[in-house]
Amino acid sequence: METTLTEQKYNFEIVKWFSVVSVVYFLVGTLVGVYIAAELAWPALNLNIAELTFGRLRPLHTNAVIFAFGGCVLMATAFYSVQRTCGVRLWSDKLAWFVFWGWNLIIVLAVITLPLGLTQGKEYAELEWPIDILIAVVWLAFSFNFIMTLANRKSSHIYVSNWFYLAMMVMITYLHVVNSLAIPVGLFKSYSIFSSVQDAMIQWWWGHNAVGFYLTAGFLGIMYYFVPKQADRPIFSYRLSVLHFWALTFGYVWLGSHHLQYTALPDWAGSLGAAISFAMIVPSWGGAVNGMMTLSGAWDKLRSDYVLRFLIMSLAFYAMSTFEGPVMSLKVVNALSHYTDWTIGHVHSGALGWVGMIAAGALYHLVPRLWNTEMHSSKLVNMHFWLATIGIVIYIVAMWISGIMQGLMWRDYDEFGTLSYTFAESVAAMHPYYVLRTVGGFIYTVGVAVMLYNVVMTIRQAGSIPSGAAEPAKA
Amino acid sequence: MNDKNNPAQSPDTGHVWDGNLRELTNQPPRWWMITLYLSGIFMVVYFILYPSIPLVNDSTEGVLGWTQMKRMQESVEKIQAIRAPYENKIKDLSAAAILADQDLSTYTVRSAKVLFGDRCSPCHGGGGAGNPGYPVLADDNWLYGGSIETIQQSISNGRAGMMPAFGAMMNEQQLSDLAQHVLAMAKGEEHAPGKELFTSMGCGGCHGAQGEGMQMMGAPNLTDAIWRFVPANEESVKYTIAHGVNASGVEQTRQARMPSFQDQLSETDIKKLAVYVYKLGGGQ
Repeated sequence: METTLTEQKYNFEIVKWFSVVSVVYFLVGTLVGVYIAAELAWPALNLNIAELTFGRLRPLHTNAVIFAFGGCVLMATAFYSVQRTCGVRLWSDKLAWFVFWGWNLIIVLAVITLPLGLTQGKEYAELEWPIDILIAVVWLAFSFNFIMTLANRKSSHIYVSNWFYLAMMVMITYLHVVNSLAIPVGLFKSYSIFSSVQDAMIQWWWGHNAVGFYLTAGFLGIMYYFVPKQADRPIFSYRLSVLHFWALTFGYVWLGSHHLQYTALPDWAGSLGAAISFAMIVPSWGGAVNGMMTLSGAWDKLRSDYVLRFLIMSLAFYAMSTFEGPVMSLKVVNALSHYTDWTIGHVHSGALGWVGMIAAGALYHLVPRLWNTEMHSSKLVNMHFWLATIGIVIYIVAMWISGIMQGLMWRDYDEFGTLSYTFAESVAAMHPYYVLRTVGGFIYTVGVAVMLYNVVMTIRQAGSIPSGAAEPAKA
Repeated sequence: MNDKNNPAQSPDTGHVWDGNLRELTNQPPRWWMITLYLSGIFMVVYFILYPSIPLVNDSTEGVLGWTQMKRMQESVEKIQAIRAPYENKIKDLSAAAILADQDLSTYTVRSAKVLFGDRCSPCHGGGGAGNPGYPVLADDNWLYGGSIETIQQSISNGRAGMMPAFGAMMNEQQLSDLAQHVLAMAKGEEHAPGKELFTSMGCGGCHGAQGEGMQMMGAPNLTDAIWRFVPANEESVKYTIAHGVNASGVEQTRQARMPSFQDQLSETDIKKLAVYVYKLGGGQ
């Protein structure tokens, strides 16, 4: 498929490295997740070591899956697809390697500082200010390289996947910088420049858009390149992609306040967030529909193409969680769901189902093309698919039951007008579902381990493990 | 999806990327367009119904007049209306009087359940079943007495019994003898050398001449095989004798303090808890 000519024309070495570390971080991130899930079911597992407690490891888990795994997948796929859809090599190889080593340095710093408890205490933005600055620099380098490559393109129009990557780059820069504004009082300690409810609002404006622009827009970029590529079908509707792109881009930034229903946040901000959140179902589904309809007339491919299965199943989970989320943002539902495990289940149907599966599909598409070979075992790809699907279903069903039960127990009053359950009783009632969630997460993680094995074997059989010696420019 | 949307029948936009990436000129599905417009309408309706649009100093109020504070107050009022007939009576009654009234004590036990669960069971266990180092509240064995007044006092003021440390006054052999006697008493037996020490060291001054305990002092009964500090072996008993309990100036002394709740809970809540604890089974 790939000729030596394309190898020379494009910088695939950087894509190879990002792809390999993505799979490694996928496994590390999910393993930490399984461990902390087990800690919730069996608290003794923290072994009385502060660095291993849930509070320290939870941000490590979220940072590992979002920024280490998610980030590397986005960088691998963005660098790959921007070159191919523009017909030109990356604008700067050196800058690309700077992004690779910079991003990985950030990940190493996160692995060190988070268990030590060095944190800004902002969800999905825990890393302290020196690391925040590094993130901004590396992210801008990534974006700049991408934009310059686009500017140099040989094609007349910019392909749709690139719009989504671009939207992500612009918005994440803006969100990350504003949310991380802080006054340092030491090398590892700073205070946010915002206070009280403004701080909460800025935090969730960032928090929800880390989901909206990083884990959604960015991954829709992946979808728009890899689904039509893998299916070898044209995109179903250009017009639909334009409409849902702009609807999502203008809509998403308003949603953050739905994380703060029934708090000190003014009523109007909560309603505004809820109304626009609910109106986001249809634009979100635009992406899912466009992806799925791209398969029209080629559904039979799902029978034999395991990679396509990942891509299509991810769209199904995408459609499901983008329906669930807006419903949860409505005040009446939020009154039940907020602070419960339902939220955790919702996040994971998006993270494991949408992000995890589309990433796996894209990586399975990439690896054989990058190393000019076939996957070591397509049976193992299929096995990963089923482990992932079964794991997710167990996970989210456990969290639905546990979360809704929690919400109902917390609000239940008896005929004397007093609470029916103590908090501890609601915790005890959740135990079986915590065990079940751990099992679901474990099954999903076994699937990721199978993927890592398959990828390593594929690279070994191709006889060209990415080696530092091959690329002098990367240091 | 229906066949009318079969992409094969639709022309593409004429652009090709990366060899085979094309886009068709299909219209978005009709249902999608309709629901997209409906979403817009929904948003506008929602903005009209609820406070949504920020103005200079406040925001639009919304035609429903909904605020989260109002909603909270309504819920609280609903609950308070159910509670009021009981609460109004409880307010002016003593704990003993609440106990005497069947209806009121049923109400009180129900309404104190969560109070107990959140405030008391972290130490005393669910249902007052006790934990190592924290007394069982569901039996009739009381350190300070099981009358409703005493229970109320324990919750309100907290408790911190005191036993002096004897470590400096006794040698190893004596500590061992006395500990063996204490363990023997619990079985209705005695250990002669230890029994002598029990008297000569003045243990009976608080624990009673026969070790039967003294609730006035919160000094436990030593003959009932119920142990404040576990495990009940010679090592542990020796430790207690040597280091005392809450003994001032003794660093390794046994800690046994129940916090005072009078600054954390209302008088009514304390009364309710007293009734609840009394009703756990051991009230006297």
